[in-house]
This record gives sequence, C-alpha cells and structure tokens, in this order.
Amino acid sequence: MSTAQGGRRKQLSPRGRLLMLAVFVLLIWAVVYPNFVVLAESLSGDGTITLRRYAEFFRTPSELRALWSSIWISAATVLLSALIGVPLAFLFARIEFAGRRVLGALAAMPVLLPPLVGVIAILFLYGESGIATRLVQSALRLDAPPWRLYGGSAILAVHAYSMYVYFYLFTLAGLARLDPAVHEAAASLGAGRVRTLTRVTLPLLTPTLAGASLLTFMTSMGSFSAPYVLGGGFRVMTTQIFSSKLQGETSMAMVETVMLAAVSLLVLWPLARWEGSREYVAPGKGTQAARVPVKSRWAAIGVPLIAGVGVALLLLPHLTLLLISLVPDGSWTTQTLPPRYSLENYAQLFGEARTFRPIVNSLLMASAATFIAVAMALAVGQLVVRWRVRGRGALEAMLALPWALPGTVLAIALATTFSVNQPWAGRFVLVGTAWILVMAYTLRVLPLTGRAALAGFRQLDPSLEEAAASLGAGPWRTLRRVTIPGLLPAIAVGASLAFVTGLGEFVASIVLYTHRTRPISIEILSQLRDFDLGAAAAYGVLLMLIVAAAFTLGQRWIQGGERSAG
Amino acid sequence: MSDPAYLELDRLTRAFAGRPAVHELSIGVAEHEIVTLLGPSGCGKTTTLRMIAGFEQPDSGRVVLEGRDVTGLAPQKRGFGMVFQHYALFPHLNVGKNIAFGLETSGNTKQEIQERIARALDLVRLPGIEDRSVGSLSGGQQQRVALARALAPEPRVLLLDEPLSNLDAALREQTRRELRALVKEIGITTVYVTHDQEEAFDLSDRIAVMRAGRLDQLGLAEDLYHRPATEFVATFLGRAGAVEAVAEGFAEGGSVRCRLSDGVVWQAIPPEGGVAMESGAGLRLLARPEALVFVSPEDDGALRGRVLDRRFAGSVYVYTVKVEDGELEVQAAGDAAREGDVVGVAPRRAPAGIFAFPRRRAESE
Repeated sequence: MSTAQGGRRKQLSPRGRLLMLAVFVLLIWAVVYPNFVVLAESLSGDGTITLRRYAEFFRTPSELRALWSSIWISAATVLLSALIGVPLAFLFARIEFAGRRVLGALAAMPVLLPPLVGVIAILFLYGESGIATRLVQSALRLDAPPWRLYGGSAILAVHAYSMYVYFYLFTLAGLARLDPAVHEAAASLGAGRVRTLTRVTLPLLTPTLAGASLLTFMTSMGSFSAPYVLGGGFRVMTTQIFSSKLQGETSMAMVETVMLAAVSLLVLWPLARWEGSREYVAPGKGTQAARVPVKSRWAAIGVPLIAGVGVALLLLPHLTLLLISLVPDGSWTTQTLPPRYSLENYAQLFGEARTFRPIVNSLLMASAATFIAVAMALAVGQLVVRWRVRGRGALEAMLALPWALPGTVLAIALATTFSVNQPWAGRFVLVGTAWILVMAYTLRVLPLTGRAALAGFRQLDPSLEEAAASLGAGPWRTLRRVTIPGLLPAIAVGASLAFVTGLGEFVASIVLYTHRTRPISIEILSQLRDFDLGAAAAYGVLLMLIVAAAFTLGQRWIQGGERSAG
Repeated sequence: MSDPAYLELDRLTRAFAGRPAVHELSIGVAEHEIVTLLGPSGCGKTTTLRMIAGFEQPDSGRVVLEGRDVTGLAPQKRGFGMVFQHYALFPHLNVGKNIAFGLETSGNTKQEIQERIARALDLVRLPGIEDRSVGSLSGGQQQRVALARALAPEPRVLLLDEPLSNLDAALREQTRRELRALVKEIGITTVYVTHDQEEAFDLSDRIAVMRAGRLDQLGLAEDLYHRPATEFVATFLGRAGAVEAVAEGFAEGGSVRCRLSDGVVWQAIPPEGGVAMESGAGLRLLARPEALVFVSPEDDGALRGRVLDRRFAGSVYVYTVKVEDGELEVQAAGDAAREGDVVGVAPRRAPAGIFAFPRRRAESE
C-alpha cells in the first residue's frame, strides 16, 4: 500500500517548486532560526565562542536544582498521571454500569481548563484561603489551614490533575483499537484475566502508553503556570529562565533556555523512537469488545457511586471557578463560603474598555495564529503527502519541532531574535508588537494543525483529486471543491485545538506581552495580583466556555464529515 | 485494425525509481473500439492508463488523440472520462452534485445540467437518485454512479481502471455485460484495465496482454487464445500444460514437428512471426486441456503418463497427468481415468490447441 501511495505522488510542478521553497524558507526562518540565535548568543562572549557561561551554569547549585526539579517533577507527573488515567480508562471502557457514558465523558473535563485557569481554580479550591481549605478548617476547628498548597508537591498535584487526561484519552482510544479477538484468543489458550492483561493487553497498549508518556513529559517540562503561581521559592527551569530574564541576566537566561531545550530533546528522541518502533495494527476489522456488566448488587451501586464521587472531585475546580466568578469584589472576607452572589464581574468584563481589551486581543491573536498555522499546515501537508519532493522529512520535522520546545524556550528565542533590526540577517524589531505574540502562538499551535493536516491528507484518497481533474476541474477548483471539503473534518479538529490553545496561551505571552497587547491570561494574573478574584474567575469561566464551544463545534464538524462520507 | 488510430500510444515509457514500469508500449485504439489492457498486477497496465489520463507523465513516448499530441496536456484539459477502481465519488456531494461536477465548467445552464444528470442516471439505469448521498449507495450503485459521472460530460475517451474489482462475483458478471452494452450503445472509445481474463473476454473488442511493462500480444480474444504469441499469453489466457520437446522441422500448414519423450512426435503451432526453430532446437510445448484426449498407452503417438489428480470443472473433468518431461492437463469425462492410472495422452486434432515456443534461457517469469 505504501508503495502504491509512493507511486501516486505527483512530480513537482514549477508552481509547486515555488511553494516548496517559500514554505521551507518560512519554516526555517520562524521555527529553526530563532533557536540558533539563542544558541549562538549563549555561546558568544568577548567577541569569541566560549563555554564560560555553561561552566557557570553547572557551578551554580540553584541552577542545577532547577534543572533536577524540572526532570523529577516531569517524571513523577508521568507516573502519577498514568496511575490515575489508565485505570480510569479501563473502568469506563471495560465495565458496564449505570451512568457510565455521562461519567466517562465528564472524566475528560480538565481539558476545558487552559493551564493558568486550571491553576487558579485549584488555588481557589485548595489554596490557603480556598473553599475546601476553609471548609476543612472550620469543620475540624483548626487555627491554621490544614495544608499548604505550595512547592513541588503542589505543582505535582496540579500536573497530575490536568495531565492524567492524556493517559485517560489515549488509553480509551488504544483500547477501542484493540481487536477483541486477541483477548478471546488469549482466553482460549488458557490465560486468565491477569495473564491476559499483563501478557496481551498491556503489551499491545505500549505504543499508546509511550505516546501519552511522551506528551505528558514534554508538557510537564514546559509547564510554567503551576510552578509560577504555586512554586514560591521552588524553581523549575521555566520559572528560572523567566526570573533570569526579569532580572536582566539575559545571557544566563540564554544558557538556561538552551539547557531546557537540550534536555527536552534528549528525552524526546528515545521515547519517540520507542513509540514509533512498536506500531501494532489490528489485522482484523474487529468489533468493540463487550463490556463486562457489574455482577453483585453491591457493585451495581458501589461502582457508579465511586465513579460518580471521583468525577465530582474532578469537576470541583470548574464549579469553584464558576462560584468565585459570581462573588462581588470585596464581599468575601473571612466566611467559609461567599455571602453574596451577583453577575457584577461579568458586567464589568464586558462593560469596561480596560477589561474588555484583553478579550479582544486574545480572540484576534488566536484567530490570526490559527489561520496562519492552518494555511502553513495545508501547504506542508500538500507537499509532504502529495508530491514527490526531496526534504519531505525535514518539512515534517520542522512542523513538529515547536512541540518539542517548551513555550518559554520559544518565547525567549523569539524575543531575542526579533529585538534587533538586521534585515539582512532576517531579524526585525517585533518585540512590543502584537505580531510577536501572533508568531509565538502560531509556532505553538503549528504542531497541532500540522498533525491534523497530515492525517487529513493521508486519509484523503488521491483518486478523488484525480477524478476532479478528469472531470475538467483545474487545480484551484479541485482544491476548493474537493480537497478542502475532504480535509474539513481534520482541519476543524486541528483548528479548534489551535484556537483554544492560542486563546488561553500564557507561557509565551508572559515573556512577550505589552500592556497594549496583553491577552486574557495576563489579565487574569494581574487581577489576581490586585486580589480581584471574582474578575479573574470570570475570565477563567469565559475561557472555559469558549474552549467547550470550540471543542463541541470541532466535534460537530467531524461527525458531519463522517456522516456525509457514509 | 482500422487506421489511423483514434487514440494512439506511441512508445510510452515510464520508470519509477529506476525500475521500468512501462517500456516502449505502442497501442492504437480505433474509434468506438474497446481495448482492454490485461495482465497480472504490476505489469504496468494501470500506469499506462494513468499516462493516457494524464496523471502520470511518460519519461518518453507520446499519447496522440486524433493526430494531436496530448502528452503534455493537463488531465483536466484532455476531456477523457475516467472510472476509478474505488470509484472516487466525492463523499461530501450527493449523487446529482457528483455528476454535475463535470458539467459546471462548460457553460451549461442550471436546467441543462439537471437534464444531463437525469439522462446520465437513466443511462446507467438508476433514474431519480439525484438527491441520495453517495454513502447510502451499494457498491454496484456507486460503480454505476461513477460511470454516469464520467460519461455525463460526453468525454472523447472513456478510461476504466478495474471498475468491477470491488463487486461480488455474481454482480461482476452481470455488470460487465451491461457495461459493454452501454459503452457500445454510446459508441465511446474505451480503454479498460483488468487482471481478470474472463472480464477481458466479455468486454473487449481487442485485448492487449501486458507483462513486465511490455506488450506481449494485441488482438482479438480468439486469436490470443488460439494463436498465443508468447508462452506467457498461452498460460495467462486459459489453461495449458507444458512439456519439454525438441524441434524436428516443419510440417505442411506451417506447424512444427516436436519430438517428445519416447520418440513421440506431435505437431504444434509456432508463435506468430516465425521464431527460428531449426531442427534440434529445444522447445517447450504447451497444450490446452481440450486439445488432448486419453488413448491407450500402447498407441502410436501416445505419450505415457500417470494421472496425478482429477478436478471437477463443470460439465467436464480436467486431469493432471505427469509425463516424463512435464505435466499435461487433459479434459475428459468423469470416468475416463482414476488417480494413479497409467494412461496415454494424444492430440485430439493436431495442431489445434498445441503451441511450441523456443525454450527460454533462464528467463524469469
């Protein structure tokens, strides 16, 4: 099949060659080049190349501690997320009980919270003056809060909460892909449930679990919101870079950036290879495995109850956010629960130019980034999948590279590269404009749209485009009438993911924003600093709603596409 | 063959990554004619069709339509209709819009388009399904809609890429007769690609048998069957057993005298074009099962052998007989012999159905 596909790739037309060149140059300039600028600047000093600063990095205990913290927090996040997500997926995929569908869908709800919003929601719930904290404190009549949400363990808790979803969703999808016949075969060969699980099911899930581990590890390495808000004196690399930058230690920030990028890529490499080397394709068509119904009467009540309580716990942050958003400024002081509720905060959000501005900024910048990222992904998809060109692998790698680089690294790279005006070197002053934010958002979402576009092109039967040509349609009409409609489901998924990522973006924004271009996330942070919790929560709820709407819309598109495809 | 050809393939050559897929292929298709490209998978027939359609550019050679070189012309400018193996119906458009797709560019009014959609659907005997989604159609219906879509713009040439391979056996047989009737009714010049010889027999005016990117033989089905040009054609179209033999000069009527084991001599038809077959040259003799009969092993001209197995083939049985220098197949009644019997085999009416080819020198199939 792969050779048939290869044989069907078109030779590159002159127009295609031009497109190829343009895309290549653009990607190298935007994706690769800024990282080289950072690398070069981290090595330059006294007019020569020097490793002096790297030596300094390795001599400074606080730097090494931050690096080590990043690594162990990420590894522990992977472990903890897997321990929550995988059993949860097995529960919902394999056991039939009352309320399974609804609870199963609700279990993925943490994805609705953009990184910073999730952190503040948990802060509102379990922080020093959080609702849960106050409830426990008053119930047990304690003088002080029963716990402190602070440091490494707090970061880890937030990470586990927001990233177990990767394991949950990946495992659900992996289980759905497994051919149930292999379990039947194992049973017919005398294997019991445990043996089937350890010898058949889990080995078959390795690529899935490797993929989820990879995603979780990389997300955790790049995580900024949780360490920034909850870390206090506890530093990881991302917050370390940010503080170096803030204190004007630019060259140390470069070294730290390179170190973070290097460690991330170092982990990515073997894990990605491991994931790629173990691709199991179910040979049979396969039907969905039958779910085991709960047997005893106790289990019939107990399983839904436990699942329900678990899911309710997962939804508490969302509810807290909603609750706080309804609390008028200054009305809630020492009471356990807020005494008054109103829509004041929302009225303020939309009523005042100062507070409305970030919403407009985020919407515009996220839309622009989504548009550009989709267009680039389509161009690359066309080149990589349809045409017989050299450098396909390089194009694909460049599209995915920003995924491997933490947001802080990207932001520092862009801020460094585009703070001077050297047109001959491809460097322009973009710092201080909205464009640098759009560029950062575009890079951050490029892997999402890229992956979607590539998958879309690979699933689109090339003979559809040939059929259009044989019916007299030129390249543009074919693109407009056949290719784009065929790609729409994939584009919708990629675009909606990209849009919500851009909308809630915080990590790169905090390095690159100005007062005029501040996005919602930055405004949430500044409201939090002013102790206007209600307004911060209202922004959070707004983001949550937009994310939910975008996902629903994306889902509609997929189903619409599948329906018409029959 | 009518000349000059309406559609002419002139020494088409195409290699993929250095491996030749089609080599110096020349075929002329007359107006209104149905020519089938027949061969096993990987023989270059689909690549050839795609070069005619314009989806592949030949490395060298030309595609000529009515004396005009169309080799460099983009597919959408050729005006050739094509039916794809998996139909390639646009899943986001309904049946009517799929057919309208090829009609919208040529300045038709909405009304004309509607009429032509209706006519095209009438033609494939699926009237009134304009508003159905293509996903709701059965495989056979999808195939006919794909045909209607290809025919609606009234193309100059119709190209069919194994359009029946996704239908089940019974439907395939019925559809190919309908397809031939339809194409003949319209009178459109057609190139058809298949690996199924029965399909080729049923559908074509002439058949081009391809092997490893080259044309082995082009002709009427009967000619290919009764006078195969190569050993490959002889075995690919119909069954044939084979034994080693030595040439012993020519007999009257142009047939070759072939000496087999035990000194038995049979007459066989040499390949067209008269390959040199001087006496003493090594030959391979191929025989159709219906060209042979069982005789007593002691008879003159009888080749002795042992029956290996017996297969039921409808009205008759086909026996596989191991002889000294090969295996032959003999068509006979069910009680003619049993497994393990020693039998004699002789030509029914030499040289009909018995072919002689020069022995190949370590040539791979």
